[in-house]
Amino acid sequence: MRRFYLIGFLVLVCFDTFAQVCFKLTANHALPPEANLAWVLRVASSPWVYAAIACYIGAFITWMALLEHAPIGPAFAASHLEVVSVLALSVVIFNERISAAQLIGSALIIAGIVCLAISETDAEKPPADA
Amino acid sequence: MPATVVLLWLANIVLDTFGQLSFKAAAAPALGVGLARWKAMAHKPWIWIGVGCYIGEFLVWLAFLSLVPLSEGVLLGSINIVAVMVAGRIFFAEKFSPLRTVGILLVASGVAVVGLGG
Repeated sequence: MRRFYLIGFLVLVCFDTFAQVCFKLTANHALPPEANLAWVLRVASSPWVYAAIACYIGAFITWMALLEHAPIGPAFAASHLEVVSVLALSVVIFNERISAAQLIGSALIIAGIVCLAISETDAEKPPADA
Repeated sequence: MPATVVLLWLANIVLDTFGQLSFKAAAAPALGVGLARWKAMAHKPWIWIGVGCYIGEFLVWLAFLSLVPLSEGVLLGSINIVAVMVAGRIFFAEKFSPLRTVGILLVASGVAVVGLGG
C-alpha cells in the first residue's frame, strides 16, 4: 500500500504539474490575450492545449485510482504538492522569480506531506492490506 | 469583503468539498479492476455529481478571480483543505491521528503562505 500511494501521488503530481506548464505554453503561444474568436483559434492551434487536456484526464484517472483506498482528507492535502512543483518549474522553464514567502510556504507544504507519509506508514503497521 | 465575493468564496468551498466527497464515494473499493471498475463507477451517480461540482467550481472560481487578485484567491483557497479534512471525518469516519492533523494543517498553512507571497 505504501508503494501504491508513493507511485500514485508521484504520477498525479506529474500530470497536474505538466498540465499547468502546458497551459502556460498555450497562453504564450496565443499571445496577446483577447476576448475574441481569433484568440480562441490561436489557443486551438497550439498543440500544448491538447497536451494539457490529456494531462487533466490522466490526473483524473490517477486520482480516482488513489481514492479507492486513500482517505479523502489527507489525500486532498497531499495533492497540493503540485503548488511546490509548479513553482519550481516556473523558475526552471519560464525564468520566473519566486518570493521568500513562496519558498517558506513550499517548505511548509513539503513538511506537511512528510507528516502525512509518516502517519500512513504508522497506521499500516498492524495488518498491511497491500 | 463585498457580499458577492463572500458568496462566491463560500460557493467555491461547498462545491470543492462536495465534489471531492462525491469522488471519494464514487471510488469505493471492490468495484472491479481497470475498465470494469470505470464502468461500475459510471453507472452510479456519484462520479457525475463530482464532475458537475467541478464544472460549477470552475465557473465560480473564474467569477471569484475576476473580483479578487489571484494571490488572495490562493490564500482563501487553502481553507478548502481544512474543509475537506473535516468533511472526510464526518462523512467517511476518517481518523484524525495527531500527526495526520498536523500534516494537513501544515499543507494548508503552506498554501496560504504561498498565496500571501504571490
